[in-house]
Amino acid sequence: MPRVWSGAAVLVVVLALCLVLPQLYANQFLFFDLMVYLALAQGVNILYGFTGYLPFGYVGFFGTGAYGMSLAVLKLHLPPVPAVLAGGVAAVVLGLVLAPLLRLSGAYFAIASLAASQAVYYVVANPSLTGVTRGPYGISLARVYHPSQSYLVMVGVLGLTLAAVLYLRRSRRGMVLQAIRDDPQSAAMAGVNVVRERVLAWLASALIAGLVGGVFAWQISVFYPATVFDLSTSIMAIVFTLFGGTGTLLGPVLGVTVLFGLYNVIGVSEPQYFQLIYGALIVLLVLFLPGGAASLLKRRGIDVL
Amino acid sequence: MRMRRLIGWRMAAGAALLGMGALVAGCGTSAAPTAKAPTQITVGTLYAGSGAFATSSLPEYQGLQFWAQQVNAKGGAFVKAYNKRIKVKIVAYNDQSSATTATTLYTQLITQNKVNLLVADFGSVLTSVAVPIAREHKTVLFDITGTGASFFTPNNKYIVLTSLPTSGVWPESLAGFLLHKGIKRVAILYLTNDFDQSQATTLASRLKAGGVTPVYDHGVPTSTSSYNVLIHAMAQSKPDAVIELGYPNNDIAFLQALASSGQHFNMVFTVFPGQLLSLLQKNVGAKGLAYTYTYPTPPLLAYNKVNYGLSLSQFTKAFQAQTHTGVNFLTIAGYNAGLVIQKTLDTAKSLRQSDLRQAVAGFSGKIFTLDGRFRINSEGAQVGETLPVGQLVPTTKGLQMVVVYPAKVKTGSSVYPAP
Repeated sequence: MPRVWSGAAVLVVVLALCLVLPQLYANQFLFFDLMVYLALAQGVNILYGFTGYLPFGYVGFFGTGAYGMSLAVLKLHLPPVPAVLAGGVAAVVLGLVLAPLLRLSGAYFAIASLAASQAVYYVVANPSLTGVTRGPYGISLARVYHPSQSYLVMVGVLGLTLAAVLYLRRSRRGMVLQAIRDDPQSAAMAGVNVVRERVLAWLASALIAGLVGGVFAWQISVFYPATVFDLSTSIMAIVFTLFGGTGTLLGPVLGVTVLFGLYNVIGVSEPQYFQLIYGALIVLLVLFLPGGAASLLKRRGIDVL
Repeated sequence: MRMRRLIGWRMAAGAALLGMGALVAGCGTSAAPTAKAPTQITVGTLYAGSGAFATSSLPEYQGLQFWAQQVNAKGGAFVKAYNKRIKVKIVAYNDQSSATTATTLYTQLITQNKVNLLVADFGSVLTSVAVPIAREHKTVLFDITGTGASFFTPNNKYIVLTSLPTSGVWPESLAGFLLHKGIKRVAILYLTNDFDQSQATTLASRLKAGGVTPVYDHGVPTSTSSYNVLIHAMAQSKPDAVIELGYPNNDIAFLQALASSGQHFNMVFTVFPGQLLSLLQKNVGAKGLAYTYTYPTPPLLAYNKVNYGLSLSQFTKAFQAQTHTGVNFLTIAGYNAGLVIQKTLDTAKSLRQSDLRQAVAGFSGKIFTLDGRFRINSEGAQVGETLPVGQLVPTTKGLQMVVVYPAKVKTGSSVYPAP
């Protein structure tokens, strides 16, 4: 089977499962949350897996998308779906503002992105902006609350995200990004516009987080700034991505499915041991599978999508 | 090569399916729908076993558990719909102080465990996500301490606040006290979250209406833990009264910084000494809390007209004997939520959620518990008790709470200015 068809099959299977599973198990938000992390992990994957930038402050785009969507509904009276797109646009605008961070690299970039996300959080939660963002009082979208519709839109956003990663896996642009990740000087000497390609990947990643944040806001409808700028969202998305394996389509899917599954299994059945078990598992995986779960398949000569 | 790729894809897809299967299988099995006479009444709730809200959530959960044990020791709660006592079972999950995890778990309680009654976790952040879910599933949410004003709207009849008024009305008595004392120079330092800022806004507004404009009115992030610079900045405005509105950790950090700063103010007010006195005293010391003003709540404030459930002294004795831990306001709030549920079961004509909510409206204003009068408005917000102002006065036996305002509940006079 050609790789493009294999990738398309993965995409269809994942989306079909996301549509079918709530019919089998009524906790729809569980699967919504799963899709949120599937999409965010792919967003992290686009940035880290293809360019080598680890965005610890990725939640800044997510929160911006949530607020962009909410303000589009509350202030511009847009219907929810266009408002979700507005959330994505808001995150892209933030990405443009923060694009100079790409001048940094490694731990410096990670820390700077973290600080930037916190700065955005404090601006949004600032009491002086209560008239605009409702400051610390949070958002209520009770008027447009529709969990079923927002669930379906989330399936769409996840589909777009998976398709974007599949494109990068298959396209010249994806190879260019990986070349930049491995050796930016050589890539530049080969005629690659390093800055432009990095910024495009950064904005694509921001767009994904913004759209996901917008749909998340629609789904939960009542939230505080702390909920959508929660740093654990970034950390979980990064851990899931690293666990599955970066630079692939299936790695993050595998990471989210296994770790998010375990998160819920342990969290629901053995909450008292949750942090011990989960922490130990992650330490073991980092020690023995630094390349992620996908590296197990690669070691056996299997070409992971 | 092509076959190898196919196998790779199949293996990966299989793993993904297995993972999703584990996800489904691990989340418990569906409970059977409520039969005509259920063998037990299930009360679903969440608690924060770790994270920012753990110190407040766990005592509240402990209070609810204590109520269930008390009721079950008598053969269960009386359920009017079946004219018999039925045992109560609490189904609880740990949300780890995460609002997103809480969203999944609230849905789990409703859709999978099919609990008869739903109780929110501590505070507004962890309650906020339950509000639309409960409304969507037409399930009454018994909200213990989620006091965000936005939860209570005319078109949401599926919420009942059991223990505290909405935070915006908390400082009514405090503003009255400041104006009554003729204190003109007031500094307000608050956290920029719904709970604290709504108090700060009300306080500033009431003071301005009384002709007093705060000389310092400043919000800081909820994560603030260093108050030294802020205290010195406030001191520059020469306030007579300093009002610090925070969460327990902030109050502790503020009072510690004040003690070490060398600054002295005639009046200092913080929120949580009145709710978690032992925690504050352990971290700040009796000296650091001396003459501090606060909102006193049970057990520091005793309501004598109790006509439902244990009185404060009975509760304190029984709770300590059973759990070997101290009583604070949050354990009382958890127990009080149990009492409201008990009365609901005692009076509802069926276990349908609409009947449960109607039952609550029916006994609103008629029961007096150790937490005072239980009374809700048409939106489900608690309006039974306003919070008075108290002062912690040092005595030979330790700190004593003296209620100083309003006059109808006053137990002594304030020591002002503080020595």
